[in-house]
Amino acid sequence: MSLIPQILRSLKHLPPFPVVAQRALTLVNQPEVSIEELVEVVKFDPGITANILRISNSAYFGLRREIHSLHQALLLLGTQELLKIIIASGATRLFANGTPGYFQEHHGLWRHSISCALMADLLARELAATERTTAFTAGLLHDIGKIVLSLYVEQKFSQIMAVVEKRGLPFQQAEKLVLGISHAEVGGEMARIWDFPNRLRLVIHYHHLDRPEAFSDDMVLLIYLADLLVMMFGQDLGNEGLAYDGFPQVLHHFNLRERDLERLLMHFGSSWGEAKVFFGLVGDGHAVQRAHRG
Amino acid sequence: MTVVVGVADMKVSNQASHLLVTHALGSCIGVAVYDPQARVGGLLHYMLPDSSLDPARAAENPYMFADTGIPRLFRECYALGASKARLKVKVAGGGQVLGGEEHFQIGRRNYAALRRIFLRNNVLVDNEEVGGAKPRTMFLDLASGRVWVKVIGQNLVEL
Repeated sequence: MSLIPQILRSLKHLPPFPVVAQRALTLVNQPEVSIEELVEVVKFDPGITANILRISNSAYFGLRREIHSLHQALLLLGTQELLKIIIASGATRLFANGTPGYFQEHHGLWRHSISCALMADLLARELAATERTTAFTAGLLHDIGKIVLSLYVEQKFSQIMAVVEKRGLPFQQAEKLVLGISHAEVGGEMARIWDFPNRLRLVIHYHHLDRPEAFSDDMVLLIYLADLLVMMFGQDLGNEGLAYDGFPQVLHHFNLRERDLERLLMHFGSSWGEAKVFFGLVGDGHAVQRAHRG
Repeated sequence: MTVVVGVADMKVSNQASHLLVTHALGSCIGVAVYDPQARVGGLLHYMLPDSSLDPARAAENPYMFADTGIPRLFRECYALGASKARLKVKVAGGGQVLGGEEHFQIGRRNYAALRRIFLRNNVLVDNEEVGGAKPRTMFLDLASGRVWVKVIGQNLVEL
């Protein structure tokens, strides 16, 4: 029995996309963004300035001077770097609830999303892609479908995994077989409802490369690869583990060899400790659990 | 007391109260060694097979690579009184995404590197749980030397 009607019904009750992140999205990759425009964006969230200062001053950026204001952060980090922090901070509300269908840990999806955003950023730099903020954002939002689908996956998890194991299918195809729709497709629907830029919607919808359309945009391939690398790194693996397809043609497309993947993992692993400051953006009583994960 | 071993990290101990744990091994590999007589053990979580990728980085953090991390694990256990002949060796991780034999093979290369090092040094693996797409967490109990692997959503399995 297909669960599609039920799943689509739950999309009708989707809360609005956080306004700060929404506004920040419109400034991504704009050549010049003024301090006034940024102030306009962040004024909708009183907590966001504190987050910006905390992250700007963390070891992740390794600045020598302490930053005390939004203006200073803009001068020292630059607009696009600041936008990444604003988007991540603005999007936290979406990830506040657990997604037990996919992650044991309450904030597993948030951590995986942040990791993928940081890996996408690193990969974009490695590939000399100009759209690093887009890569970061797409990495952060690629799995939003899991927020809605978690409930259904939780009920059918063993059935979905049985399909993965018996038929050797990747997890998202097994999801589609059992539930009628995959988390990538649900995410694509959410992106449509939230009126995301078309490109971002495509990345979310096709990030497991199920369809030929996926290969028409480098950003889809980049996020696919970042996602895979993050799974190989481990740490924030979901219940389905690494049960996704590895497509060699993506490596050929970017002219990457196995050795390059190792180097990417090494760089990611080296900055991992500092990058974890982003995890703390989602705040609540789960600090103990996070500390336990070291 | 639980002692967490991070990514590219290692802990050795002779404290019976310690439970060493390393979380969510993807393509990384966890190596647990234990000398039941000296009651000394260690757990290494390395990420990559070969330090020639970046020798400077390996000097900074030897636990990132198999060829620099594994010798260090054994040496530090010897320093606490363990003997090579008595060490029990258990291995977990080295996971892979689905698909081909030639690409995205860091997990397999991580495991091959370990096998090469052990062969050269006459070390036998007592038990292992490697490969596949499953995410694994690994535990070493310093009081008993017992090692468990936990796959998310499944029961603990003793190695």
